[in-house]
Formats: sequence, C-alpha cells, structure tokens
Amino acid sequence: MGELVFVRPGEQVPVDGILTQGYSAVDQSMLTGESMPVEKRVGDQVIGGTLNKIGAFRFEATRVGRDTALAQIITLVEDAQASKAPIQKLADLVAGKFIFWVHVLSLAVFLFWFFLGYARFFDPATRLTLTPYGLGEIGVFGFAMLISVAVLVISCPCAVGMATPSAMMAGTGKAAEHGILFKGADAIESSSKLTTIVFDKTGTLTRGEPSVTDIRPAPAWTESDLLALAATVETNSEHPLGEAIVRGARDRGLSAPAANAAGFTALPGLGVEAQLDGRGILLGNRRLMQERGVSLGPMEREAEVLEHDGKTVMFIASDGLPAGLIAVADTLKKYSADAIRILHQLGLETVMITGDNRRTAEAIGRQVGLDRVLAEVLPEDKAREVRALQERGRRVAMIGDGINDAPALAQADVGMAIGTGTDVAKETGHVILIKDDLRDVVSAIEVARATMGKVRQNLFWAFIYNTITIPFAAGLLYPWSRQVVSPELAAFLMAISSLTVTMNTTLLKRFVPSLRRSDHVVAPPQTLAPVAGGAP
Amino acid sequence: MHGSQRTVRLAGLVGLAVAAAAAALFIAAAGADGQAGVARYGGAAWVFLLAWIITMPVLAPWLKGRARG
Repeated sequence: MGELVFVRPGEQVPVDGILTQGYSAVDQSMLTGESMPVEKRVGDQVIGGTLNKIGAFRFEATRVGRDTALAQIITLVEDAQASKAPIQKLADLVAGKFIFWVHVLSLAVFLFWFFLGYARFFDPATRLTLTPYGLGEIGVFGFAMLISVAVLVISCPCAVGMATPSAMMAGTGKAAEHGILFKGADAIESSSKLTTIVFDKTGTLTRGEPSVTDIRPAPAWTESDLLALAATVETNSEHPLGEAIVRGARDRGLSAPAANAAGFTALPGLGVEAQLDGRGILLGNRRLMQERGVSLGPMEREAEVLEHDGKTVMFIASDGLPAGLIAVADTLKKYSADAIRILHQLGLETVMITGDNRRTAEAIGRQVGLDRVLAEVLPEDKAREVRALQERGRRVAMIGDGINDAPALAQADVGMAIGTGTDVAKETGHVILIKDDLRDVVSAIEVARATMGKVRQNLFWAFIYNTITIPFAAGLLYPWSRQVVSPELAAFLMAISSLTVTMNTTLLKRFVPSLRRSDHVVAPPQTLAPVAGGAP
Repeated sequence: MHGSQRTVRLAGLVGLAVAAAAAALFIAAAGADGQAGVARYGGAAWVFLLAWIITMPVLAPWLKGRARG
C-alpha cells in the first residue's frame, strides 16, 4: 500500500488505487459490465483487474490482495453461490421426505412381488425393457429384488437437489457480469417477488450536488454577463449555492471579469453584498431585495414558477436595479427517469423517501414519474416507513447509498446499495449495484425473476421424471407388458433428469437483461429538469 | 457426548432392533410360504437394510421429542 504503480496502455491494473499522474480510459466491463471504457484523471479511483486502454498513468496503491474490490466481489459471489434460498430449503425438505417414501415404496414393492406378484403374474418370457434380454427362470427373490432396486435407482432425487443451487449459481454469476452483486440466494428469491421499490433521494435519484439550472437576465443583460457577475461575487464563497454558481460559470467556459469583488459581505439567511468596479452588487433571496428596496417587477412571477418546480432562486441586483435571477437545484441522475419508467412497465410501485421538504420532493416525484413521495422523513424514521409498507403486504426493496439509509436497507425485504455510496450502506444492503446507474435495479429484478423461473422449471423437470417413471419401475404395467425396467435403464433415466436440469440451467447463461438487449427501445434523450434541495 | 448425537446413536440401535425384527418376521413369512433358503435369507437381508433406513428418520425425531419430555 502507498507504493506508486506505473500502468502502460494494454496492461491490466494490478491493484486498487488513486490515479496520481497521467490520463487514460480504462475498460471496467469485467467488474461493472459497462460497455464503454471509463475516463480516468488525476484523483480518480482505479480498480485492480481492469484493463488500461489508451494512456499511461501512475497511481498510488490503496488496497491490495484480498482487500481489493475484485477480491471482495469474488468473495461475495462465492458466498452467495454457497448460500441457500428459502425455496432451496423447501426443495431439500421435500427431497428428504421423498427419499423416505421411496424407500418405503421400494420395500412395499419388494414384499408385494415376493409374496404375491411373482406367483400370480411372473412369465418366463419376461424381458428387460428396451433390451433383447429375457429373465428366463429367474427366481422370486431375484425378480422382486430387481424391481425393488429399479424403484430406488430411478427415483434418486439428485436432480431435485441440484435444481435450485445450480440455477442460483448461474443467476448470481449472470448478475455479477452486469455489475450486480447478490449477497445471498435469499436476496435473489426476495428480489423476484418485489412489489414496491423505495428510493432514497439525494445521491440515489439525484446527484446530491446543486447546480445552475436557469438563468433569467433582465433586459440589457445577457445570460453570460449575469452568470459571470454572480460567479465573481461568489468566487470566495463557501456556501453550496455560491459554489454551484462558480462551478456553473466554469462549466460554461465563462471567465470571471478581471475586476475582483471587494467589500464582500455575507448576509446570513439573505445572501451576499459586494462592490464590483464601483457598483454595488446584491446577490440573494427575495427578502434581501425587499430589505434593500429593489423592485423585482415581472421577475417575481418567473421566480414563483421556478420555485414551484423545487428550485432555489437567487436574485441579482446592480446599483439597486434588478439584473436577473439564477435558479440552482440538485439535478437528477442520468438514468433515474428511465429506471422508474421501466420499473412501472414491470408492474412495480415506485416510492421516494426523503428528509427534504415536501415541495422539493414532490417536484422530483413529478419529474421522474414516481407513484408516491414520502417527504420530511427523518433518517431514523425511514426504516419505520419501510416497515409500514411491509405491514400493508408489500414486498419492499430499498435503494440507497447513505449511512442514514442503512436501517431502511436492513429493514427492507431487499436492500440495494449503490456501489458509489457509503461502506455502511454496502455492508448493510443485500444487493450491491457496482455502477452508479439506477437502471441496474431493473436488471437486478429481471435477473432474479429469470433465476427463480429457472428454479421452478428445474424442480418441475426433476419431479416429473420421477413421478412418471416410478410406477413403471415398480412394475405397475408388468401384468400386461411382461417387461421390467432394468437397473441400468433406471440409472439412465435418473441421469436424464439431472441432465435436463443442468441443460435447462445453462440456458440462463443466454439471458440478457432488457436494457442490454440490442432490440431494447431506449427512450429518446430527455432534458431532465433539475430539482432543488440538498437534504438527504 | 452431545445430546443430539446420543439420540441419533440410540435411534440407530433401536432401528437396528426394529429392522432385525422385520427381517425375522420376513424369514418366518417366507418359510411359511415355502420359499427356498436363498430367497428367504437374501430377502431378509434386503428387508433388514430397507427397514433400518426407513426407521432411522422416524425414530430420531420421536426419541428427541421424548428426551425433551
């Protein structure tokens, strides 16, 4: 740890670390399933096991050996594959009972053919099914024993025993390919039965970082002039809204005017005041403008509309005259609306739970199309809200990233932690979504449903063979057919059921989540209106 | 020895006795049916084996329940 590692183009990143020099694009598909290489700059995290594509870079090792992300993922997948789902426990129980009754049947069959069947029905012309061989003068013991053993062999429930674990193993592996880590087989089973998906807001649906969304200059001002002026005033501000304005100006390629703000005064709860080239500049809320006698005029109405959408509006005045307004808000993550839309298509209810104020929360709810919004919920009450949904019969998944989401993640039937979130959330969640892409919630549910579908198919195939073939092996048709199933044929039929289950499971490898299919119709890119608020 | 292990061992012994009784009963029934020695004793061995396998999972929980009172 702490050592500097140099990686050339085409080389694999050996351990986890932080990039300290250089620039490159790294193929992280083996870990996250992302189809495009991810750009890496100084300060970015690089993950051991990923492939450097274009540039050379130097990074400082931060995690090695079993602490690397790749090693932890491998451990998680192995643990998940070794764990038992509730349906597997049921299958094991059924298999146990099944074995008991098969032995009882085998004994009963033996006694029947020994004391009754042989004397009444045995024919020296009896043949072994599907063979040219006859039984000839086989004695009563040999005949009864042959049928009894055939019953035991043909009904071996090994296919029942492997039906669930094989599908679970394939399902967790398939999910891992797409950057979704199920921590246990029970998480897969629970994910397949979900009815309600609850999202945290900040950091999950939104970026959790305010940014400039609207600039409305007064006549005689341009957007660029207004934003550059505001950025100059806020250059040294440490207020999140001020930082958002400075960042907004920088992102738009605007350089602050040469003049520096002088006489900068922060007015708590109101805004800031500064002198710029001899002009008195005010930047702040409506109350600041009212106190300083600035008439906002038609700008007032524009501000109300923006505030209705949950944005925070700041007015700018120069020498007592309004210069315009700037709206700042938290912005939705790229695929939030897409994910919600597809979850609705899957028939799932979507809910957002947040400590933010109702107006902001409802604005977000409208923009992404959520079914319900639970606003002004204290962090400690999030788990209570999840429990309330469960008590109403819902099977709830909680999607979150923060420490304050951990109790709700634990309470939910399935807690899905965003991989870029806090360690506490990842530790608590039942599923980890490695990428910061909410569409993986959809993929996780689809993989879980496909896996459980495969489990049910496997159990059907495992039991149907036994159910159909046991009566034949027991000699039910012997009085008419004069044929008995040989132990070799019984073993072959038993193996066929295992083979069918295995083949059926391997079909899961061909499963592709709907969002990854080439025929998936992606919604046209939409301009996501940003929303205000900063509370988690 | 752990309590549950003792119960399992006891179930094995009781099962052995039950299976032996079943095999004896089989020999008697096969003898009455006029079966030859191979059929009689071979069948008894098979009955003994299956009966022991069957009685074990039945006896173990029953004995555990009795032990708990």
